[in-house]
Amino acid sequence: MTRYFVRRFLYMIPILIGVSLLTFALFFLIFSPETMARRNLSAKNPTPKMIQQWVASHGYDKPTGELFKRHMVSMLTFDFGISDKTKEPIMDRIEAGALPSLELGALSFGFTLLVGLGLAIVVAYLRGTYIDTVTMGMAVLFLSIPIVVYVIGIQFFFGKMLRYGPLAGYESGWASLKFMILPVLVSIASGAGYYVRLYRTFLLDETSQDYVRTARAKGVRENIVLYKHVLKNAMIPVITTTVAAIPSLILGNLVLESFFGIPGLGNYLVNAIHSLDFAVVRVMVYLGAFLYIVGLLITDVLYAALDPRVRLS
Amino acid sequence: MIAPFRFSVLAAIVGSLAVGLVGCGNNPNPPEWNRDQTYFVAYGTEPQSFDPSVSYNAGDATIMDLVYPSYFRYNFLWQNPWKLDLDVGLTQPKREPFSGNGPDGKPFKGEKWTFEIRHDLRFQNDACFPGGKGRGVTANDMVYAFKRMADSKVEFPLASNLADKVIGWDEYAKGFGKKKNDAQDRVNYDKTLSGVQVDPANPYRFSVAFNQPYPQFQYIMAMHFTTPIPREAVEKYGDLFALHHLVGCGLFRLEEYTPRKRIVLVRNENSPGALYPTVAPPNAEPRLLVDVGKNLPFLNRVEYRIITEPITNYNLFDQGYFDSLGVGQANAPVLLHSIRPGTSMKQRGIEMLKGAYPSVEYLAFNMEDPTFGGYTPQKRKLRQAISLAIDSESYVEIMNQGLGVKTEFLLPRGLCGYDPNYKNPYREYDPKLTKAKQLLAEAGYPNGVDSKGERLTLYYDNYTDNGPSDRLREEFIRKQIQALGITVGSRDTTYAEFVDKTNHKKVQFFNYGWIADYPDAENFCFLLYGPQESPGPNNANYHNPDYDKLFEQMRSMDDGPAREAIIHKMRDMAVEDCPWIYLQENEAPTVYQPWVHNRHSNPILSNLLSYRAIEVDKRLALQNSWNQPVLVPLVVAIILIIIATVPAVQTVNRQRNRRVRRPAGGPH
Amino acid sequence: MSNGLLQNLESNAIPLLVVALLVWIFLRSRTQALWAEAYRRLRRNKLAMAAVVLLTFAGTVALLDSLSWKSTNSAQSRTVLDQIFGRADERTYSAPMGSQTQELNPRRVASIHLLGTDSVGKDVLYQVLKGFRTAFIIGGFACLIAVPIALFFGMAAGFFGGFLDDVVQFFYTVFGSIPDILLIIALVLMLGKNLLSICFALGFTSWIPLCRLIRGETLKHRDREYVRAAKALGVATPRILAKHILPNLLPAIIISVTLLFSQLVLYESILAYLGVGVGSDTGSWGNMIDAARDELTRDPAVWWPLVSAASALLVLVLSLNILADALRDAIDPRLRTE
Repeated sequence: MTRYFVRRFLYMIPILIGVSLLTFALFFLIFSPETMARRNLSAKNPTPKMIQQWVASHGYDKPTGELFKRHMVSMLTFDFGISDKTKEPIMDRIEAGALPSLELGALSFGFTLLVGLGLAIVVAYLRGTYIDTVTMGMAVLFLSIPIVVYVIGIQFFFGKMLRYGPLAGYESGWASLKFMILPVLVSIASGAGYYVRLYRTFLLDETSQDYVRTARAKGVRENIVLYKHVLKNAMIPVITTTVAAIPSLILGNLVLESFFGIPGLGNYLVNAIHSLDFAVVRVMVYLGAFLYIVGLLITDVLYAALDPRVRLS
Repeated sequence: MIAPFRFSVLAAIVGSLAVGLVGCGNNPNPPEWNRDQTYFVAYGTEPQSFDPSVSYNAGDATIMDLVYPSYFRYNFLWQNPWKLDLDVGLTQPKREPFSGNGPDGKPFKGEKWTFEIRHDLRFQNDACFPGGKGRGVTANDMVYAFKRMADSKVEFPLASNLADKVIGWDEYAKGFGKKKNDAQDRVNYDKTLSGVQVDPANPYRFSVAFNQPYPQFQYIMAMHFTTPIPREAVEKYGDLFALHHLVGCGLFRLEEYTPRKRIVLVRNENSPGALYPTVAPPNAEPRLLVDVGKNLPFLNRVEYRIITEPITNYNLFDQGYFDSLGVGQANAPVLLHSIRPGTSMKQRGIEMLKGAYPSVEYLAFNMEDPTFGGYTPQKRKLRQAISLAIDSESYVEIMNQGLGVKTEFLLPRGLCGYDPNYKNPYREYDPKLTKAKQLLAEAGYPNGVDSKGERLTLYYDNYTDNGPSDRLREEFIRKQIQALGITVGSRDTTYAEFVDKTNHKKVQFFNYGWIADYPDAENFCFLLYGPQESPGPNNANYHNPDYDKLFEQMRSMDDGPAREAIIHKMRDMAVEDCPWIYLQENEAPTVYQPWVHNRHSNPILSNLLSYRAIEVDKRLALQNSWNQPVLVPLVVAIILIIIATVPAVQTVNRQRNRRVRRPAGGPH
Repeated sequence: MSNGLLQNLESNAIPLLVVALLVWIFLRSRTQALWAEAYRRLRRNKLAMAAVVLLTFAGTVALLDSLSWKSTNSAQSRTVLDQIFGRADERTYSAPMGSQTQELNPRRVASIHLLGTDSVGKDVLYQVLKGFRTAFIIGGFACLIAVPIALFFGMAAGFFGGFLDDVVQFFYTVFGSIPDILLIIALVLMLGKNLLSICFALGFTSWIPLCRLIRGETLKHRDREYVRAAKALGVATPRILAKHILPNLLPAIIISVTLLFSQLVLYESILAYLGVGVGSDTGSWGNMIDAARDELTRDPAVWWPLVSAASALLVLVLSLNILADALRDAIDPRLRTE
């Protein structure tokens, strides 16, 4: 077991190096340092001298190999440096943005799961009735609408017409909750359908297992069967399918954050790509990859811990 | 029945929580400040830099000009023409001839400007000063600002305007190390920049010497680059001086900047204040003259909420949670559209005001393009034909909802050389396109088809990452040009790539705008000056030696009939060559809530908030009456869902209970 | 007309070929027992048949917008759809069935528009119908890129295992850990912003989950009796992969591809929002939805482009989702949801 984790952990290193290499290759294939300088300098039409100065002072005149070496060292030591464009320490921005992003992510993901699981239980309980049919039909319907439409629609209808909660903005602490109403609604509307379908399958899979039949045969009440046995066992696939997404919540949701004015990290990467702020791009991509892999790792661990049939080798 | 019961308890808890949250109200602004002279306004982009020597965009200037005052400021009440007042300055500058020999030994005939700043200015309190108390401002701080501009690591955007003119600039700039080396730079800041020096007899007086006449320098002295900068702050805060630790002597100081959340300015205790303008233009509205001569500012605090989504900002303004809303925070045509007679905003007393700023919007051909560029009569006629096909009036009306003024040439109203009676022969739109079609045929493309039977295609180089309006503009232009029979191809990119393409002259036809740094004809005519070709500002790559010669002549002249005559000659050349299709002079709309005082749009000023005031009680009352939540649909929806679920639950329970009652004979 | 069609052969050949290929695959697959049975079950599913009808309609619209010809030698070539909707434009917005344009000084409309007109006065119905072609191209071409990559690497990794498996797993973990949006923006910037490069970028980012799935399935089948038997009989490896394993993977692949198709159509709207969508000379629901951000703030609100585009998108994606569910039930009863 320990050996497995050590191996999996060490396996992260080549992947992170691969991700960084790819980021470098993509970025420098497309943009020259000169283009980056033009985009980052405030002057409307910078002179060649200003550009040369910018490139030199940001170190982009060095050969890419050396740049890459320095990049890997600073990434592995989590020393992220400053933004090319605003000169802010990148770590400061990440620290400031991670919390709101995490709050939004946790609430919207949590509520989406809760609604998804709740409806799945209701639907599994009421299977075969019209509620089942209607709910499952709605689930497919809701899955077929792009998130931008949800955002525009919910902001317009619930925010502007019915005035439930602030349209946008953020305050820290408890006051932040009221700013979460609309974005959480959006993510429930756009995401719950997927989980209802998924969890309903898990639940019904369990219901058809032998042990459930045995329990029923023994005269255990249906509600208790559902809660004690089915739900408990169905939680294994529920947990393993969702846990992988959790670490990435820190990096935020692009569309929700920009429409609802939440000061998270969702737009940090996209804005950096648009303004060719490579110092930020490489850090955010690295961090994203790191969290993604951590998520995969946690999933494996949980899978092993929850399901005795799985052995790690 | 346990399960449905538990579930309904859970639903009730979640439901009452939701209702409770809805009951908190929908005001995103902190309530304690809502009852104060605090101005709430949207900040539509992420700030780039608040370093007075670096910052160079209209959005950030609104902060800069409140924190960092310059020698002059534009008069709040004057527009087309604009007027300069003293701000940090105490006296009008003295200009005198100044001659000598340049570094290459050649004699020059330049001029020297002498300035004197106010004696009562103090910097804001900040930890970089001894004891945390702001010290008095002297001319040394002005000279330090100039030295920073010369430092090539500071990324001063107008370096090319000053470097070849200020005496000793290059020599001084050489002293800075190429790489980051703070110690060496610090020593260099102790040396003198020979052209910019403090008067030894008067610590508030300094002079700037040029190797040529430079009449536009007065406008540079009205930009935030020439604000007193405390050297202590720059050296203490380093890179953070740019965004998080602003230290100035303006009416306000920065209290908080939280990225993507908010920027808060509060009144600067150490500022002696400034006066509401006392000299008003004859046509000034009486309501703007109530506060004449009073001490500024009226607000205690300004809170900018950073929200980059225009639709969100617009809706927040609509609910009354922003006190005003302008371009850069929301889409200009939308602002105009909503304020038409009969709309909800109009009925609630919200007011829209337009203000012009020195600018021009145009469509440009790349003059080095093999198909559409070039100076032969045929190529000229081709461009003139396309120019005739674009209807500026409906452009202004449809794309901009009547915002903007059709322009015949690149000069806006109120500048030397602008002629209100001039009509550009290639901008007179005729819906039948008779003349345009004739010119197109003469150019060798009758009905848009060349001699080989191939249809002519014009590629419109657009960028579409700034929201939907750029795409709509493209649609409009395509529709107009295709009426000539020319196909308009799409070559959309992101803005970054578009800039790259123009710099490398890889564009064919594109839309561009210019907002002048200062209201002077030179700052417009240089857009077609040959040596400024891409990557310079002349992105049409127009080269006309005669035009260039006249430009060099007019550039250092003071305004007057002689200058005007030269500009007219330049105009006639450029119009005939037709590198540009002049679209419009831009105007910026701003909408104001009814509780805002001194509503006036003069977009050349970035410190407009120094003049504003609000009626707090009126704001509270109206916000409250506009924002009562509508709960009926929510309640109805919940009841409907419950009613719909009950029969199904009952059916299922009946079935299950039956099954449970037969322990031995279950389904198996 | 036929003469004109021939002249535009190069641009008309591809859509016709695609249709011919689809018909051929359908006819061919009916001769196989597994698929014939699946079709029989599918036919009994009324909802699925409704979805198929809608998809056929959408496909026809897309096809009509792909066949173009020139009416005269020098005219611009126009598609069937262009010819049908060759009506006068308005100046700017007008409401569905409205008689006046929505501008400062309203004017009478030149003709009645069922779904109104957009900012430059184009018929919204026409724009919406044009979106079908774009959606099919984006979904179809991206799948066409993603599926072969995923098949090749997934089957190779699953079948051969060992070092090759490690390498493939390494690659898809690396690609999977880079945010899609960076890859897409970077590829679109590199290849230029047009429909094909967007398809390429989307295809290049969406092969990873598919590859993982195929690898897993191959791994499952590799050790089955029938494969071992074929190996023992000395059947060549490529032949085992193609004749024995691939047919067993097809059901799972077809269901994933149908879902992937619908995901890609949805994704286009996010790309439009980020400013890396298709150009404005290509009909696109994403662009229409994006434009609605401004349109809804007008007073009275301009809601019809948003609603029309979102509805068309909904119809297509919903049909695809229903079809995917029905296919799952029809092809592989073991996978049935219930």
